[in-house]
Amino acid sequence: MIPIEYFLTLGAILFGLGLFGVLSRRSAILILMAVELMLAGVSINFIAFASYLDTDAFTGLIFALFVITVAAAEVGLALGIVLRLFRERRTSNVDEASDMRW
Amino acid sequence: MPDISVTIGMQQAWLLPAMPVVAFLIISFFRKILPREGDFLAVIGMLGILLVTLFIIIDFQGFFHDGEFHPGEANVYAFDWVRISADNFLFLIEFSTYIDAISVVMLIAISIVGLMVAIYSTGYMQGEDRYGWYFAVLSLFVAAMLLLVTSGSLIWMYLAWEGVGLASYLLIGHYWDRQSAAEAAKKAFITTRIGDVGLLIGIILLWKATGSFDIQTIIAAATSGQIGETYLTVAMLALFAGAVGKSAQFPLHVWLPDAMEGPTPASALIHAATMVVAGVYLIARFSPVYEVVLVARDVILYTGLLTAFLAASMGLVTSDIKRVLAFSTISQLGFMFVALGVGAVGAAMFHVLTHAFFKALLFLGSGSVIHATGRQEVEYLGGLRRKQPVTAATFIIGSLALAGIPIFAGFWSKDEILHSVSSYASPFVYIVLAGTAVLTAIYTTRLVLLTFFGSPRDKSAFDHAHESPSSMTVPLLLLGLLATVSGFFVFDAVGKLFGFSGGIGYLVYLHHPHAFHIDWAFASVATVSSLTGVIIGWVYWHGGAERAIKARAWSPDLHALLVNRYYLDELYQGIINRVVLGLAGIVAWFDKKIVNETGVDGGAQLIGYFGYRLKFLQTGKIPNYALGIATGILVLSVMVLARA
Repeated sequence: MIPIEYFLTLGAILFGLGLFGVLSRRSAILILMAVELMLAGVSINFIAFASYLDTDAFTGLIFALFVITVAAAEVGLALGIVLRLFRERRTSNVDEASDMRW
Repeated sequence: MPDISVTIGMQQAWLLPAMPVVAFLIISFFRKILPREGDFLAVIGMLGILLVTLFIIIDFQGFFHDGEFHPGEANVYAFDWVRISADNFLFLIEFSTYIDAISVVMLIAISIVGLMVAIYSTGYMQGEDRYGWYFAVLSLFVAAMLLLVTSGSLIWMYLAWEGVGLASYLLIGHYWDRQSAAEAAKKAFITTRIGDVGLLIGIILLWKATGSFDIQTIIAAATSGQIGETYLTVAMLALFAGAVGKSAQFPLHVWLPDAMEGPTPASALIHAATMVVAGVYLIARFSPVYEVVLVARDVILYTGLLTAFLAASMGLVTSDIKRVLAFSTISQLGFMFVALGVGAVGAAMFHVLTHAFFKALLFLGSGSVIHATGRQEVEYLGGLRRKQPVTAATFIIGSLALAGIPIFAGFWSKDEILHSVSSYASPFVYIVLAGTAVLTAIYTTRLVLLTFFGSPRDKSAFDHAHESPSSMTVPLLLLGLLATVSGFFVFDAVGKLFGFSGGIGYLVYLHHPHAFHIDWAFASVATVSSLTGVIIGWVYWHGGAERAIKARAWSPDLHALLVNRYYLDELYQGIINRVVLGLAGIVAWFDKKIVNETGVDGGAQLIGYFGYRLKFLQTGKIPNYALGIATGILVLSVMVLARA
């Protein structure tokens, strides 16, 4: 077996890339894609812990399944909001959606 | 006295304030629906008081033998009103009534004068605004006054003290639509209040030393030496401060002349016969204690002396007849305090009684003049004896009593005072007091001459004048009778006739009762000086008062000084403007600048400032918020991991 650290590093890199994308992208849809990346990274972490440390119950695997499901639902909702925003503003640039300010 | 089986006696003394209180309540609530607005209730109340007083006197005489009063507990009625007790600690305020000779003298004065004033008022106040309310407050006043003189507890006496002050304020301000009346009422209340602070301090000091509010307990403790001398002196001077305020002595005398804005019968009752003698009553009550602190008693003596002389001098130049009588009252009160200042309690209380009768008579007489002519100033009067014979005759009787002409009441009581002063005080005091007596005769004669004699100075007032209705003249006649004969009570034979062991000397005294004998030399000197005063008055003011006018031109500054009442009012107003309002200005500045602007407004502004600076965090941009979330998670996870 390869050491668990390899999987954890992979998960961390994916999470980091996703975080970078959330913070630096202008388009709403790209932000959502970056969020998906963060979720993927987290899922890899859970599965790695499940395989290496919790071999009997595989709790991490179950958790990863949950994550995928929730991600799907959340993206559906989020895309609905982005669609609405685009219809109102003709733009999906999140910088433009700053009306709730001081 | 026939032995009447009495169910009412000294134990029922609480009835005395209770009855007029009931009258006050009924009249004040129901006067709109009562016939004649309920004035008859006030008169009935006064009759009831007179009746109960008679019963109390009968009961009192039962315990009075050979001038010694041994009632045991019969003259005290008490019940606990407030009682807070712990292990070693007892705070007790009783409601108690205490009847002795001094109370009896006061009760006679209050009940008789009260009845006369009530009957008189039904005539005088006819057609005035708030007719019923006047009688309500009159009843309230009498209730408070009776409570004052029968109370055995200092707290209840203080309550009644304030109560008479309140009633006085309400009555002086009865014509409150007149600015001068409202101002006068305010001045009266505030001036007496200053004295009342002293009284309260005295009460508290005495309570602190003896643990009790009961008057007799305090007197016993003080005279047996249980209280330190300096402490006791301070306490008794504080009590005297209350008397100075209420009895209009110098320097707190300034309210009484202005108090004449009130209806005249009220002035007769309150500012002549009863309320203003509350101070005399207080000092008389505590006279055994004042004997222990002679320094305080000397203060009383000299204050009374100064007041008597000063007030008489001011009465000499006043043109408003009621104000002359007000100054006269202040002066006569000074006489009473001089008597107390030498320990002659009997003489002082006797003068209280005779003064109540003749001064009330004089006030009611002046009321009759005012009612008939519509004028108060002597510039508009003159020659009224032809139009108002009964008023004139009774007024002259009252004036003779005030001036101290023999057989009339004032002669006997004033003589008693002068006699005690000559025996127990320095010759200086006697000379000044005798001089004041001469001044009294002078200004009294002046008043009578300018009002009732000579030629009328204002035609319309004179033509309009007529004798007053019997509701007013009958009290005048009755009081005239009393002003003539009440002086004879100084004789032991007369006292025995009424069931006492002797005259006033056997009734009210400090140590021993003393029989009365006339000192012919002394009495002649007094008579001569009073007559001299009358003659001087006649010389200067008869006819057209030419001599008086020339005298005024001879020293206009002195005249101005007296007319302006020694500029004391201006002095006090100056002090109020500078000191009181000055202090108030400082406190107001503190409140505005420091509490309001810095504290309240400043705090709000500080928060507003921070809020203004912080609001720029809310950019509304999603990536900013995302950065915030990310940073927060990072910091938290570092903290958690570092701990682990």
